[in-house]
Amino acid sequence: MSDGFDSRKISPETLAAEYVHPENCTFATAQNGFLSATINGTLYKRVILSRSLPLNFPDDYICITDADKNELGIIEHISEFPEEQQKAINNELSQRYYCPVVDEIISVKDKMGNFYFDVKIGDFKKSFTVKDISRSIRQMGNSVYLTDIDGNRFKIEDYEKIPPKSRRKIEPYLY
Amino acid sequence: MPERKPPKKDGFPKKKKEPVFPPALCAELNKAGLDTDGLVFCCTGDMDNEACYRDAWLAFDKKGFYTAFGKAEVQKAKSRKKQLETKYTVDEIISVPLDEIDCFELEQYVSTGRLVLNYNGEQTSVTRFSIGLAGDFDGFKKAFDEFKETGEYVYHSEDKEPNRCKKCGEPCPPGQEYCRKHNKSSATAIRLFKFFGGHWAQIAVILLLMILEAAVSVIVPQLSTRTLYDKVFANPDGLSQEQLLKMLASLVLGIAGIRIVRVLFQAADNWITGSIMPRIMFNLKTKIFNAMQRLSLSFYSSKQTGSLMDRILRDANNIYNFFVDGVPRIIVSTATMAGVLVVMFRMSWRLTLIALFAMPVLFATLVLGDRLFRNMHHRAWRYYAKISSITSDNINGQRVIKAFAREDDEFENFSRASEDLRKAELRLSLAEATLFPMLEILVFLLSTVVLGIGGTMVAKGRMTVGTLLSYIVYLEMLKEPFGFMAWVSNWWSRCADSAQRVFEVCDAKPDITEKENAVSMPDMRGDVELRELDFEYEPAHPVIRKMNLKIGAGNMLGIVGKTGAGKTTIANLISRLYDAKEGSVLIDGVDVRDIKLEDIRRNVGMVSQDIYLFIGSVADNIRYAKPDATMDEVIAAAKAASAHEFIMKLPDAYETRVGSGGQRLSGGERQRISIARTIIQNPKILILDEATAAMDTETERRIQTSLTSLKKGRTTIAIAHRLSTLRDSDYLAVIDEGKVIEYGTYRELLQQKGEFYKQYKIQSEALKTIGIISYDGGAEPEEDDEKKEE
Repeated sequence: MSDGFDSRKISPETLAAEYVHPENCTFATAQNGFLSATINGTLYKRVILSRSLPLNFPDDYICITDADKNELGIIEHISEFPEEQQKAINNELSQRYYCPVVDEIISVKDKMGNFYFDVKIGDFKKSFTVKDISRSIRQMGNSVYLTDIDGNRFKIEDYEKIPPKSRRKIEPYLY
Repeated sequence: MPERKPPKKDGFPKKKKEPVFPPALCAELNKAGLDTDGLVFCCTGDMDNEACYRDAWLAFDKKGFYTAFGKAEVQKAKSRKKQLETKYTVDEIISVPLDEIDCFELEQYVSTGRLVLNYNGEQTSVTRFSIGLAGDFDGFKKAFDEFKETGEYVYHSEDKEPNRCKKCGEPCPPGQEYCRKHNKSSATAIRLFKFFGGHWAQIAVILLLMILEAAVSVIVPQLSTRTLYDKVFANPDGLSQEQLLKMLASLVLGIAGIRIVRVLFQAADNWITGSIMPRIMFNLKTKIFNAMQRLSLSFYSSKQTGSLMDRILRDANNIYNFFVDGVPRIIVSTATMAGVLVVMFRMSWRLTLIALFAMPVLFATLVLGDRLFRNMHHRAWRYYAKISSITSDNINGQRVIKAFAREDDEFENFSRASEDLRKAELRLSLAEATLFPMLEILVFLLSTVVLGIGGTMVAKGRMTVGTLLSYIVYLEMLKEPFGFMAWVSNWWSRCADSAQRVFEVCDAKPDITEKENAVSMPDMRGDVELRELDFEYEPAHPVIRKMNLKIGAGNMLGIVGKTGAGKTTIANLISRLYDAKEGSVLIDGVDVRDIKLEDIRRNVGMVSQDIYLFIGSVADNIRYAKPDATMDEVIAAAKAASAHEFIMKLPDAYETRVGSGGQRLSGGERQRISIARTIIQNPKILILDEATAAMDTETERRIQTSLTSLKKGRTTIAIAHRLSTLRDSDYLAVIDEGKVIEYGTYRELLQQKGEFYKQYKIQSEALKTIGIISYDGGAEPEEDDEKKEE
């Protein structure tokens, strides 16, 4: 074919996920703070990491894409990589998946179908509104994810570890 | 200094420039060394670069771009307590010269977003923000791009400071004084009562009947207990046996009469309530339904069908139940309590004071119990909802469950949820079984105290036995209305909640509205043009970007592209189901936003992959677009759509009931009915949106034949994955990520050997693999070209 395109190239091998390992891939944090990667000898000045299983396996099956969203490979386990690189990977992931962690629930008021949460995130008092709680409050193990009416997400890391008063306030809305 | 006057530019409203920041913030920024006079646009953020909550203000002028971090605190004004004022503190200002910025980029993560500055191929993070502010930041980015490109910025109406809640300063809907949190339920109640307008006379009668009903019930113990004991059984006047019997008979008849009168009052009240409430509910339901018909498609895509059905049915019923059962009981309970208390005071003010002293304890217990039960009920309700969704999932997915032999797992899943519900209900029952006897004990203790003190008073001759006994009966009479009043607030909040949701639908403003002076174009020629079209369903997620396309009247344009490339969005924009964010869609040179909606709907027809048949006969469905179509027209349309043949094989032919609960039709049959529906509409512009997707080859051929007859004499825009269906197109446009990447005739695009050619080859290979050697009916125009090249 003169145009160099051969549809037969789309084979199961091409479609199969290409896992990267410390032998063929290194990560580093660039000066501008973004994560760069060298995969099979090619330097990608900025790579974007996405978790395949963000809720249950946040450290495994991490998808690597370049700035144009082309997939470059998959990290099977972050723990395979040297400590310094793990730090860079985790730093990138924590920024991407950053979710304000609720430390205390001050009050939950139910009014006209809206649930008004006053919470403490660190020392910061934050108020947000949750509607349609069956969809907006999601429990995964002991973690609870709340999505407010603007689409902002908040997380209770372990609802058994928050103060008992706070626990009592959120409990009625959990399955 | 930047230009402050809005430049004349098409497509933007010419608005008066307003200050970008509130004066108090400007003063703080000035103090921190930033000259705010020349700032042309601002955006407010809520995080710093480390994703810590912190107020941020972003702005730019002709010299640079500035990010200020600090704190904004909304507080009550010292001088005018009802007014709110915001106190600002600015800790840090970061300035970047304008010539050191190429552009901004927005990155959206799971819960946050990031504004990134691009310069010379290098990227620098400016600030993070909560994902809910993505729209604001996207606006900021666009404003900056416009400013960078033209050196000017036009003030957009959306940039206005939002309407703020008087209580907390949070943004609130236009025209309202309070945000949702501080919106008073009394306002909802007043609005609900407005639905009773026109029935005030009946309501006055109902109120009167209820008060009379309460008054009558207060009289009964006076006769049945007090008079009976004090006048008949005690016989203080020494009456004869005969006289006593006469008195007893008149008392019994009197009590029976009163009870009959009470029942009559009740019946009259129920009769009047029953006659006006359905009318009021009818008005309410039709108002909601009508409001929903006016709303744009975007409203339906953002709400689930179930939730919408809930609004019409459950919410209206909640309101109905409260007004039919709740309000009468409130009135009767209030009147009974007031009447009973008056009588009790008249009988013995001392005993009544003792009883009243215990009331707050009882009331507090009831309110606390109600709160406790509310949480428990809520939990049980959630488990119940979970079971419902598991059941519904299971029924809908039976085919898959059986195919993968997962029946046992499904059963286990259901059992687990049922077990959770059982536990929640058990806990609720136990709590109820504990609290209610405790309440009974409290009431019993109160009665015992009253009996003890009353007994002493009887012994001392200060009270008669009849008075004491009737007093205890009155005390018992207080129990029910008292309990009801402690619980009714919960009922009202449920009703107000429903009413609020209903009013939300009624108040929702449709995105697509007709201009006052809209142009009437009953007969369109059919020229379609997309000019610099921009569209996004969600802020910062553009679906169509600066798209330009022209289709001459009577021509056919094929649109090809990957899933999610924006093909269906183009169809939606041409038929004005959505409005362009920027740029315009022109029909015969007129912006669709300036054309009467009725004319657009009449002249633009769509056959989409989502086929919907309404409940009704086949004929009704075909004539849906033209209800006055004759049967001849219906049959002609069905024949043109190759549907006549299969319709005649149906048990009742054109009168066969289809839609939900009706005759089951295959995808191809349903599609042919929908094509017949469009044929009868006879639109000037025809949009075929994946009309033959997911059909077998035979059905596709039949439908293609129907479509060929439909296309004649119309402007046709055909969207398809299967390139073979677009062979007849005069022109083809290949769309990718909201842009036209290739444009030309079928042959030209194949010769270009670009994206279209790639797709063509992939589809050809796929068909060869499954044994269909010749794609496109064997005639491949590029074959010759390829041979020549080789």
